[in-house]
Amino acid sequence: MPKHYRPAGKKKEGNAAKYITRSQAVKQLQVSLPIFRKLCILKGVFPREPKKKVKGNHQTYYHTKDIAFVQHDPILEKIRQQRTHEKKVKKAVSKKNKDRVQRLKARKPKYILDRLILERYPRFVDALGDLDDCLTMVHLFAALPTLQNEKVTVKRIQNCRRLSHEWQAYIVRTHKLRKNFISVKGIYYQVLCFVLHISNVKVFSIFHVHLRLCPECIWTLSFSETRVQAEVEGQKITWVTPHALQQVLTDDVDFNVMLTFLEFYEALLAHVNNNLYHSINVKYPPILDPRLEALAADLYLLSRFVSHKSGASNMLLQDQTGQLDESQLTLAQLQHQLIPSEPGTLMQLVEETEVNNDDDDDDETKECKSLFRNMKFFLSREVPREALLFVISAFGGMVSWEGDGAPFDETDQSITHQVVDRPSQGHMFLSREYIQPQWVFDCVNARLILPTEDYLVGKIPPPHLSPFVDNEAVGYIPDYAEKIKQLKAAARRQVIPVPDVGTDVNDTQNVLLEGVASRVEAKEAAERKQEMLLLEKQYHDELKMELQRIGNASSAPQLGSVGHVEATDDGQSKRDQTARDSDELDKLLMSRSKRGLLNAIEIRSKQKNDEIEVLKARKRRNLESGGSGKD
Amino acid sequence: MSPEKIISDDDDDNHSVEESDSSEDEVAPRNTIGDVPLEFYKDEEHIGYEITGKKIKKKEREDQLARYLASADDKKAWRKIIDEYNDEEVELTKDEIKMIRRILKGKTPHAEVDPYAPYVDWFDWEDKIHPLSNAPDPKRRFIPSKWEGKKILKLVRAIREGRIQLDKPKEEPKLSLLWGDDSGSSGKSRGLAYIPPPKPKLPGHEESYNPSLEYIPTQEEINSYQLMYEEDRPKFIPRRYTSLRSVPAYVNALKECFNRNLDLYLCPRVRKKRINVDPESLKPKRPNLKDLKPYPVACYIEYKGHNDAVTSISTESSGQWIASGSTDGTVRVWEVATSRCIRVWDIGVAIRQVAWNPLPQLPILAVSVAHNVLILDTGLGSEEEQQRIKELLLLEKATLADQSACSGCCFLFFCIFLTFFLRESRAILVHQLSKKFSQSLPFKLHGLPVCSAFHPSRSFFFIATKKEVRVYNLQKKQALVKKLETGLREISCIAIHPGGDNVIVGSKEGKLCWFDMDLRSTPYKSLKCHHPKDITSVAFHRSYPLFASCSEDNTAYVFHGMVYSDLNQDPLIVPLQVLRGHSSLKAKGVLDCKFHPRQPWLFTAGADSIIKLYCH
Repeated sequence: MPKHYRPAGKKKEGNAAKYITRSQAVKQLQVSLPIFRKLCILKGVFPREPKKKVKGNHQTYYHTKDIAFVQHDPILEKIRQQRTHEKKVKKAVSKKNKDRVQRLKARKPKYILDRLILERYPRFVDALGDLDDCLTMVHLFAALPTLQNEKVTVKRIQNCRRLSHEWQAYIVRTHKLRKNFISVKGIYYQVLCFVLHISNVKVFSIFHVHLRLCPECIWTLSFSETRVQAEVEGQKITWVTPHALQQVLTDDVDFNVMLTFLEFYEALLAHVNNNLYHSINVKYPPILDPRLEALAADLYLLSRFVSHKSGASNMLLQDQTGQLDESQLTLAQLQHQLIPSEPGTLMQLVEETEVNNDDDDDDETKECKSLFRNMKFFLSREVPREALLFVISAFGGMVSWEGDGAPFDETDQSITHQVVDRPSQGHMFLSREYIQPQWVFDCVNARLILPTEDYLVGKIPPPHLSPFVDNEAVGYIPDYAEKIKQLKAAARRQVIPVPDVGTDVNDTQNVLLEGVASRVEAKEAAERKQEMLLLEKQYHDELKMELQRIGNASSAPQLGSVGHVEATDDGQSKRDQTARDSDELDKLLMSRSKRGLLNAIEIRSKQKNDEIEVLKARKRRNLESGGSGKD
Repeated sequence: MSPEKIISDDDDDNHSVEESDSSEDEVAPRNTIGDVPLEFYKDEEHIGYEITGKKIKKKEREDQLARYLASADDKKAWRKIIDEYNDEEVELTKDEIKMIRRILKGKTPHAEVDPYAPYVDWFDWEDKIHPLSNAPDPKRRFIPSKWEGKKILKLVRAIREGRIQLDKPKEEPKLSLLWGDDSGSSGKSRGLAYIPPPKPKLPGHEESYNPSLEYIPTQEEINSYQLMYEEDRPKFIPRRYTSLRSVPAYVNALKECFNRNLDLYLCPRVRKKRINVDPESLKPKRPNLKDLKPYPVACYIEYKGHNDAVTSISTESSGQWIASGSTDGTVRVWEVATSRCIRVWDIGVAIRQVAWNPLPQLPILAVSVAHNVLILDTGLGSEEEQQRIKELLLLEKATLADQSACSGCCFLFFCIFLTFFLRESRAILVHQLSKKFSQSLPFKLHGLPVCSAFHPSRSFFFIATKKEVRVYNLQKKQALVKKLETGLREISCIAIHPGGDNVIVGSKEGKLCWFDMDLRSTPYKSLKCHHPKDITSVAFHRSYPLFASCSEDNTAYVFHGMVYSDLNQDPLIVPLQVLRGHSSLKAKGVLDCKFHPRQPWLFTAGADSIIKLYCH
């Protein structure tokens, strides 16, 4: 009997029953391969890796249940209808029956992806977790050239632009941006979104609870008479926006696949935006002023709309009915038209919203919100406007730019910083600082207003470092990171003595406050001292290590020639030897797989070390060449 | 199915039809009950009424047997059918049967009818190519219909009044609040468990538009990338732009996005646990080494005197002396405690191996030199013992001369037996000193013999070829007791546990196999020592649970090897110590190791002409 013999009437079992190949799946669904792809993309079905590949190694396997899941989805029927509809249109076109073509085109069967989205992401957090690719793609397509005769229609590109701006406006409004990074590939942004899940809702009386939010934490709050289980889930969402330049369209990509993805992502982002806007009480598709939109000041417009609306909505929330909508709309439009002429209003709006929402923010958001507070930025023509608009306003600054529709002019005396990216600046206002765009990004990453000397016009700015790298974990800290660390430490020291200046000894209340403050201060000082001690110790250790290494380095070349040098660090080498020996002995009894794993770990750590060594060697060489250059 | 049956059935069913059918040739039915099912009269005496109103009596039916007999007699019986309605027997004529057959076939009942007769147009006239009426179309065909006009007017009015809307502005489907109330949803997706895709890698410092200078490779390094394999080559080469305005558009943006999409829908996704193991946790827990003491730890005494590599050492059973043979052609006997060389024999040819007699009464040495095996009297021991040795050896000399043609390689004492095997002739000889008699053992060896050993307590003999170890019983007709399959590439040495049930085998690939003979014929444990070179020798301690291996990389490993008397408990093997100290000469390291018979001490003989003693 052959090995794989299955008696007639007996069902398939195991991997043979669980997984089917792609061609089998296509046959089962009775669709063509492109449609199968589309279905997989929309339904989020991906191949699986069976333990035993029954049909061979070169096949792609899908889970049988996945395919059954696709098969029972109404979207399959809709797609089939679309196909027959396309045939009808084609026939009508070939018969030159224009009327019919028109009529048919108006009646194209459509599907909506709401249900699919909800199916794939049952909770809002899940959707946020998968948003990275979505945002990257939508932002990329928003930056594509609107070419005619291409598969990507102008309408879709505009939709992408709109969605991306809506998303950014929300981030600006809620000050959720945490990190950003200008890379060669584009500008990376990272936001931290918290979603509060309240399960077991039996709230009789709601207390005001201040939650300190931290990522990935779960809180259970137990009140008397009420039990509210709240889960706070933080999601880090990172996306890339391409540089605002003409994008290169390549031929070697399959636009059908990309557009299918885009279709889903557009729907997903629209829903996510809808939910987010709902959470800050703003009506979702925001109605915008076409004049400003034409000036390509979308983001500014949107963010203003959002912040304004959410500020105003507290009052309007109760009577937000259909009747009021239209009047509200006209009101909003009126305000939009009014505001650009007078710069003060925007500030008022910002302040107003800040006052309203101060209490329900966590510490980090507060810190982010106030980073650029009381600063006014002006962007020159050559500066990427959208990116800076987004970043500065997300961190609480006020921005204007050169062009129509700008909230304030270049000649405004209250401007504190002007962002310039040109070799030299002709006319300079003495009241403001002229900086390169990188300053803004570095400030944001460091959460600190950096000194502007390095970023002046025409200078080569200091290296721009990635905020996504954990320098300590990697084991190599670039110089500029050290410098920023020092600056931060210095800033902390500076900030603390400030309360002492304003205290009045006569005022009893102040004395009390001072007492509290001093206690806190003392605690902080103690902590600082400990930290300093630690740092000092670390420094000494490092120094020692350095010395040793130098000793080693000096002895290394002599090892071959002179024998007795060994004697100086004989103890050291002996200890090394014994350590190595005990390692070897440990390995002796390991099973083969564990030994392999250990070897892999060792190889990986060695690779890492090598990389760091390369960096250090380059740095040394640069220093040497720089030193010799100076001489 | 017989035609009779069909006909009778047919007849029954079509009764009413036949009745209504008023054909001339049919006789009028006698029965006049009308369209009444015949089963109403099932229990009656009569079957119906005549035209005059008289009852028609049921005829006496023949029983089946009679009918059958009648049909056998009567040749026309098959034509006869019973007309139930009239209760009479009818005989079908030939024509009728023909007709029935035609009907059954689906043809017309009468054969003379031609169903496909050519059509004859009865109306034939000359101008039949012209239309019947040549009148012109009426006017109404050309003017719009009044009623249609009225309907259109109605629609137009409706459109004007806004009751009908054309070109409706397309409504964007309103977005519903999908996750409006999360408390309702169970949080479980339908279908299989969702495996989220891995997030894209976040950029490091080197991807910055303005990275630190140390992240930018030099031109030489970039050129060297060309020499690397395609897969190893870095995909991204950092570059430095001095200002933001000089950064160009990223060429591969679309391509990378596409590749990511492909990954998302084409790559099999598997939930894999990220292996974030502490390398320390992988290492097996060794028992506390302090508990396993004593074992040799450090070198205490060096025995210097040889001028060339020491190939072999052997300890005397009392532990007071050791003998060593070297390639400089000398055999030396040393006092263990003082490292004093007691005696030197200069044989002149490189010594292969030396061995003490395990019996303490006869302190004699056997030495294997190129083609000879020599027996040396050490001159130790009491006078009585010396006398005995002299007697023994006196007789011996003649026999040994006979052996000179053979190439002895390795041998062992057991009592006063001496075995040695001969490499080239694949023969194993056993020599009995007392009888001055050599005999060859009739084993068939599968491959060249490498080394041999005696069982410490029973009359078993172990012989190792390159691949396997064979165990023979010397008493019972030299029968093969066991074959140990090592799975090693090339065996170099074996040692037998003093208990006799465990064997260790060292190999030239640096592997050490522990066999439990009671357990199975494959290794109980295979230790991959970090000897990069051959293991030259392995040794068991006679009383302590220790064993050692030494190799050509100048190291000796000491292991704890505890064998339990309880058969259910596996031997415990713990690596204890790596002993170093020898230096290599001519790519050879430690050539031999032996344990002190009483103390947990290890002697090693190195190629650097030194013998070392490692003590606890």
